[in-house]
Amino acid sequence: MTTEQRSSVVTKLLNGTLSSIKSVIPIDYQIEKPKMVKEDLQLFYGVLIGITGDIRGNLVFTGQQSTFGSIGEKMFGMPLEGEMLLSFSGELGNMIAGGISTSISQDGTDINITSPTIMQGNTVLHGHKQALKLTVNFESVGTMNTYLLID
Amino acid sequence: MASVLVTDDAAFMRMQLRDILTKLGHEVVGEAENGQDAVEKYKKLKPELITMDITMPEMNGIEAVQEIKKIDKEVKIIMCSAMGQQGMVVDAIRAGANDFIVKPFTPERIQEALDKIL
Repeated sequence: MTTEQRSSVVTKLLNGTLSSIKSVIPIDYQIEKPKMVKEDLQLFYGVLIGITGDIRGNLVFTGQQSTFGSIGEKMFGMPLEGEMLLSFSGELGNMIAGGISTSISQDGTDINITSPTIMQGNTVLHGHKQALKLTVNFESVGTMNTYLLID
Repeated sequence: MASVLVTDDAAFMRMQLRDILTKLGHEVVGEAENGQDAVEKYKKLKPELITMDITMPEMNGIEAVQEIKKIDKEVKIIMCSAMGQQGMVVDAIRAGANDFIVKPFTPERIQEALDKIL
């Protein structure tokens, strides 16, 4: 992939991510400026979803477990814990990634997504060439980071 | 009242669908965790309606719809997927699905789909 192609892919994914988060999560938020990350990703709770098709890579959503729980409570009106919170976290990642695939399909980019993998405990992700970090601060709920890892 | 088989790999989503469908007056007769499980539970339970996720391990929802429609052309199937791109909707409808709901969904959207196909 040339630098120009890579830049176009990143822009599409970034715009798709913003549009998807807005449509999936009904909570006001502020977005921090996206950052390039070159080092390994260390996280304690998150969801990983693979992207295949016209773009290949991974999407990783991380945050405090309690933040995922509060988002679930706002979306579905009930507190979530234990297995149901893990399942909701995976589903939240699935809904955001699905929204991205829907959004970017409108300009002719066709991607598919894998089932979510939940990561719990000290986890380090490495091996990606490039990662873009997008931090979203949800009002009175907490922060969720989205990492776009492009192969 | 329809008998319903709910298919989704996420326990949370199965719980949501069961709750919404039950409140709408339908009977959830079973839950399946993937496409293969849905085909097997369909044969055993013979529900009138199936809700079907698409991205699932073992067998995806589109393949499961094709398998189930080979057994019974008349069974009603509603796809419930996070991926709403046109190509995905077309693939599902071609496979035999009767409606396509994009997640996250509301009880009203589920009701609308049921009113249309039952």
